Amino acid sequence: MRRFFALFLLFAASPAVAEDLVLTLSTREVAITSTYTGADITVFGLIERDANTIARAGGYDIVVEVRGPAGDVVVQKKDRLGPIWLTTARKRFSKVPLFSAILSARPLAEITDEATRGRLKLGLVHFLPEPAPDDQSPLAEREAAAFRDALIRLRRIDQAALILDNSVTMVRPNLFSAKIPLPATAPTGLYLVHVSVLSGGVPLKTVQAGFVVRKVGFDAFIANAARNDAALYGLVTLLMAISLGWMANAIFRRD
Amino acid sequence: MQLYLPIAELPLNLFLLLGMGGAIGFISGMFGVGGGFLLTPLLIFVGVPAPVAVASSSVHIAASSVTGALTYWRRGALDLKLGLVLVAGGLIGTLLGVAFFNQMRKLGYLDLIISFSYVTLLMFVGCLMIVESLDSLLKRHRGKVMAARRPGDHRWYEHLPFKMRFSRSKMSTSLIPLVILGSIIGFVGTVLGIGGGFLVVPALIYLFRVPTAIVVGTSLFQILATMLVATFLHAVYSQAVDILLALTLVTGGVIGAQFGARTGQTLKGEEFRLLLALLILSVGIRFSIDIVIEPADHFAINATELER
Repeated sequence: MRRFFALFLLFAASPAVAEDLVLTLSTREVAITSTYTGADITVFGLIERDANTIARAGGYDIVVEVRGPAGDVVVQKKDRLGPIWLTTARKRFSKVPLFSAILSARPLAEITDEATRGRLKLGLVHFLPEPAPDDQSPLAEREAAAFRDALIRLRRIDQAALILDNSVTMVRPNLFSAKIPLPATAPTGLYLVHVSVLSGGVPLKTVQAGFVVRKVGFDAFIANAARNDAALYGLVTLLMAISLGWMANAIFRRD
Repeated sequence: MQLYLPIAELPLNLFLLLGMGGAIGFISGMFGVGGGFLLTPLLIFVGVPAPVAVASSSVHIAASSVTGALTYWRRGALDLKLGLVLVAGGLIGTLLGVAFFNQMRKLGYLDLIISFSYVTLLMFVGCLMIVESLDSLLKRHRGKVMAARRPGDHRWYEHLPFKMRFSRSKMSTSLIPLVILGSIIGFVGTVLGIGGGFLVVPALIYLFRVPTAIVVGTSLFQILATMLVATFLHAVYSQAVDILLALTLVTGGVIGAQFGARTGQTLKGEEFRLLLALLILSVGIRFSIDIVIEPADHFAINATELER
């Protein structure tokens, strides 16, 4: 919120530089059916300029951030104890986006410096909540950093956090498209898309859009039944198991 | 053909699931084990979240054991009385296991100590069975006839009070060791999340000298009773039973179990014990790899606690 306010102040002070950003998504709702194997959501954007807008020498850079619904993730660490390896430490991260992606046309480090990235909160590490301030000893901090690094690394391996630095296409100097490859394992819920336009490392404008992933039809019916009529659902499952078991026996029966 | 699973929340290949269910069902029908110890890790390996894998495997195990148990029942190779005694023991073990499990979570690493002792037990049982079955295979090869169980031949624990006669299993024994066996199975199953079929089978064969064919049928009956309860509890409490995943696994599983039960009955006792020993040993090795080998990555995301 503070970021938008700061940007607002910036633009309010100098109306002549204002570029505007117009966004549209290829879909507002991703429907999960029995044949769902993931979806591609395309972001189209137009950078609007008027006669007063100053000329940009280096062209525009677009950074698209996608943040899915949040949840808790537990990272655990194993250490040797005698002959066996066991989990010696666990750390719970709450409010971690269960899917996140950063799309750009070139690596973020080339687009803008670290200070700006920190200010704009660009980068997967900024998707994590700030570390708790209760324990600030150097050892604890190093340990915490190791866990944060592990979380990001493991989430990237699981395709739950994506860094795609060649996924934004500039169709025209002020017209772009970006394809968000949503894996089938991405959770259901609301996804927020933040699109930032930068030029020469300077952020110009950030606009937000969103889409929803939800189960429809049969899959929604099953998911609802499992949650709302758990006992009935359990009984139906058991009945199915027993009758199929009995049927196989009857069909294959020789005697 | 990809099929999206509504509770597991990912698409998986339909034929892969049918094949997996079939293969595990075959092993289940043949050896009288549930197969959850193989199916659950397989499902986790292909990406199913751990709670869904555990809960949906239990449906598969229930269905495979229905079909297997019915086959043995028709051939008179199921000791219902013995099965019920084991189920009763299992119930005690499960209750103890649940209480213990909740305490243990507060204490920390006890689960690992249990896994470690369990692995040791599996390896020990597996090795003993391999030696014994090879020995009797060799003896049979040389033409020696194995002495069958004689009527008055009883071990000390069979002399304990509460004697009962199990005519189908051709034995009479005290209820105490049987109930204790059932409790241990129920306890281990609850704490480690695996059925105890591959402990029941060797225990009945070696400790109580029940004929192999009857052991398998009875073990399947005990597994069936346990898994029906487990499935229902999973559905109500963890809500992690994926009916579509279960349906595909079960379809493969019941067919596999039919062939497994047939194949199992054509095996000689020694061959059966040798194959089961190899299976038990490989399960022991699999579990020990998890805890003895240095993990490639010291960090891991604990999938069981990932909230959706």
